[in-house]
Amino acid sequence: MSHLFNRAALALCCAGWLAATGPALAEETKPEAKPVKLTTTADHTKFKQLQKTFNSGPEVTKACLECHTEAAGQIHRTKHWKWEYLNPDTKQTLGKKTVVNNFCISIASNYASCTSCHVGYGWKDASFDFKSEENVDCLACHDTTGNYKKPPGFAGNPVVKDTEFPPGSGKIIKGIDLAKIAQRVGKTSRDTCGACHFNGGGGDGVKHGDMDTSLAAPTKEVDVHMDAEGLDFTCGTCHSASSHDVAGSRYTPTAKDDKGARIRGKADKGNPATCVACHDNAPHKKEARLNQHATKIACQTCHIPTYARGGVATKMTWDWSTAGKRDAEGKHIVKKDAKGRIIYESRKGDFTLAENVKPEYAWFNGRVDYTLVTDKIEKSEQRTPINRMGGSATDGKSMIWPMKVFRGSQPYDPVNKTLVTPHTAGNDDTGYWKNLDWDKAITVGMKDSGHPYSGKMEFLKTEMSWPITHMVAPKEKALGCVECHSKQSRLAGIQGIYIPVRDNNRLLDTIGWAVVFLTILGVLAHGALRIVSARRQL
Amino acid sequence: MSERIYVFKRFERFWHWSQAGLIMFLMLTAFDIHGTYTIFGFEKAVAYHTIAAWSLIGLWVFAIFWHFTTGEWKQYIPTTEKVVAMANYYLFGIFRNAPHPFKLTQLRKHNPLQRLAYLAILVCVGPLIWVTGVLYLFYDKWAAWGFGNLSLEWVANGHIAGAFMMLAFLIAHVYLTTAGHTPMAHIKAMITGWEEVD
Amino acid sequence: MKFTKTLSAAALLSLFATSALAYDADWKRGRVYYRSVCTSCHAVQPGGTINPSTKTKAEWATYLKADKHAKGKDTVKQYVSKAYRASIKSGNKAAEKFADTPDQELMDDIAAFLTKGAKDGDAPATCN
Repeated sequence: MSHLFNRAALALCCAGWLAATGPALAEETKPEAKPVKLTTTADHTKFKQLQKTFNSGPEVTKACLECHTEAAGQIHRTKHWKWEYLNPDTKQTLGKKTVVNNFCISIASNYASCTSCHVGYGWKDASFDFKSEENVDCLACHDTTGNYKKPPGFAGNPVVKDTEFPPGSGKIIKGIDLAKIAQRVGKTSRDTCGACHFNGGGGDGVKHGDMDTSLAAPTKEVDVHMDAEGLDFTCGTCHSASSHDVAGSRYTPTAKDDKGARIRGKADKGNPATCVACHDNAPHKKEARLNQHATKIACQTCHIPTYARGGVATKMTWDWSTAGKRDAEGKHIVKKDAKGRIIYESRKGDFTLAENVKPEYAWFNGRVDYTLVTDKIEKSEQRTPINRMGGSATDGKSMIWPMKVFRGSQPYDPVNKTLVTPHTAGNDDTGYWKNLDWDKAITVGMKDSGHPYSGKMEFLKTEMSWPITHMVAPKEKALGCVECHSKQSRLAGIQGIYIPVRDNNRLLDTIGWAVVFLTILGVLAHGALRIVSARRQL
Repeated sequence: MSERIYVFKRFERFWHWSQAGLIMFLMLTAFDIHGTYTIFGFEKAVAYHTIAAWSLIGLWVFAIFWHFTTGEWKQYIPTTEKVVAMANYYLFGIFRNAPHPFKLTQLRKHNPLQRLAYLAILVCVGPLIWVTGVLYLFYDKWAAWGFGNLSLEWVANGHIAGAFMMLAFLIAHVYLTTAGHTPMAHIKAMITGWEEVD
Repeated sequence: MKFTKTLSAAALLSLFATSALAYDADWKRGRVYYRSVCTSCHAVQPGGTINPSTKTKAEWATYLKADKHAKGKDTVKQYVSKAYRASIKSGNKAAEKFADTPDQELMDDIAAFLTKGAKDGDAPATCN
């Protein structure tokens, strides 16, 4: 054996192969007592419970729960499951179940479509049983094959047999083999988190701008931490989970983390997903001046120069008021731009999209107040904020944050003075995306969400802010000084703080240059007089 | 005729010219930072300005030491004597080829107006620039130093105001170096150390 | 004579090595290698980028089995080999990252990615 190997290695070297190949080959061929997987302690292909045909998601979950007895109970406590969150600061009840946005607006009456991103099976209407253990979806987060899919319209269920959907459309959704997927479960990955979070707002990159499918295997330029060829962070590297509860929140973000780096043994209930949690509060070793910037400016402001950098455009505006047009034959219209991106749909109205977008900036202290369906809104020239980002220069809790501000117009009840929750998705007579009838859609939708609808509707201009925190660029790409320290400052709209150059005092400059100019004038006059008088005396 | 006296010692001349160079470089970078023009650009200009400032502080440490050990600090004690005469000379006499009212000696190498002007720079403009400049550099330490209520805007504007005053001084100063008995006399003296006096 | 004998012995050995470990292909690693190494050249060459979804599973399998790169001028395996990775690793981070991955494992990874991303695969994929 070893004799054979030696001769082989020798021959390989003689054949002109790189010398490095020899020793490496030697390692490969070392006989192992028993081949083991180093990425996990349990090879799920070997589990009897998973060696069968699964006809539904809950069947898989039941098998999972035979060993992982507490998993479903842990999931039941999380936002991922409840889609409900009581904000302890504002006392508002939030969560996807309750909030309204200015994308697809609301999940009420649209469950079967929206819940394809729920970590559960079968949430098709408001009667969903949140105590059910078998309806917890393990695979959505633990699939490693990339083949697990929950198409919209199936209330969060995967499709196991080839199915025509919508019925009569001739479009076939391919069935997936749940056993194969269940036998290959593993840790969460950018692909599993991304299946929903990259596609927020109904499509790739639509909602966030700093999250899209380019982060599945990004380059260093797109995300210095997730760089698939480099650090290769998964989402969970920062959003570390404990008891299935994933750290980080859009409802109560950590705007200012002054607790320093999180190290072992440190008693700390802080958010592990902040930059500071690893980088500490004074991470700039070479330029101490930047650390003083970091007392007022969120890391993201300088280190995410633009968002939507991975080649996927994000939606910037959505005007529902132009929805509902039909072509000459009465059919729905879809318009695309030169790059093939949809910019108008009869179902949804007009969009604008953008890549490499410079964020807007705002003071932000982590407090977010939502405008809910129950809140009264006076229509005015100003856009109604769907979420108001708290913060000011003086509250001691705020930092300057980059934001994606998403602007649009959406249906509104001018009599009750509230936002409305239209029934959009659904292959039925009242779904707006099918019949383009606002009255029916809003009546059904508001009934489902349990709020009054006057029968009158208008469009309300709204805006919604999304703090930008992903797509951190390599440090060489961080913002240079002049991006803010100039008259065309990125922070032009930031009040309550003195920014050198941006805030040069015009009066002082005028007086200063006047003094300098008068001195020059005086000196020149004096000199001229001296020359003239000297000539006279000659 | 004229006699030559040795007014500016070697260290003094080194101090003067290196200080002149540093101040001019500080001016150049200052207005680059201020956004008046772009030569180095904000980022580099700030770095250079900071290095030059620390260099000047270092130079001043030596200069202060030198002034006290040699007693030369006395040259800056203000005097009212002949101030009016000096002013009169610059305003009128200089055009009529009138005699210079001030007789330069080794112990009194600055005329009364110079004394006043340098003292003003020394006690007003200088401190304004240095105090605001150092505060600017250590902006993040304010709270720790107990200056938490200080306004960056006032500090910055004070620094800028100082810069304008310094620039005006520099222009006047450079011009007045030509007001010796020949236009180059004072400049030569500052280079060689020897001044020709009547 | 002796040379060919030992070469075939080496081939036999590598076959033995892979079969013993029953390697479980990692399509994600294949994805990174395909996009960072294969595509980095193909993007600038006349052939242009080749999306995995341009071929069917069967076509990819045939292609990999034939192992003919550039119409048979060289082999596909060559571009997955450690020697090749070592030669480009100074300018290619993926090659550097997978520098020590056994050739056959990486080949399997790429095959898994292509099977998955093929026209009729589970998740048709592009180069990006």
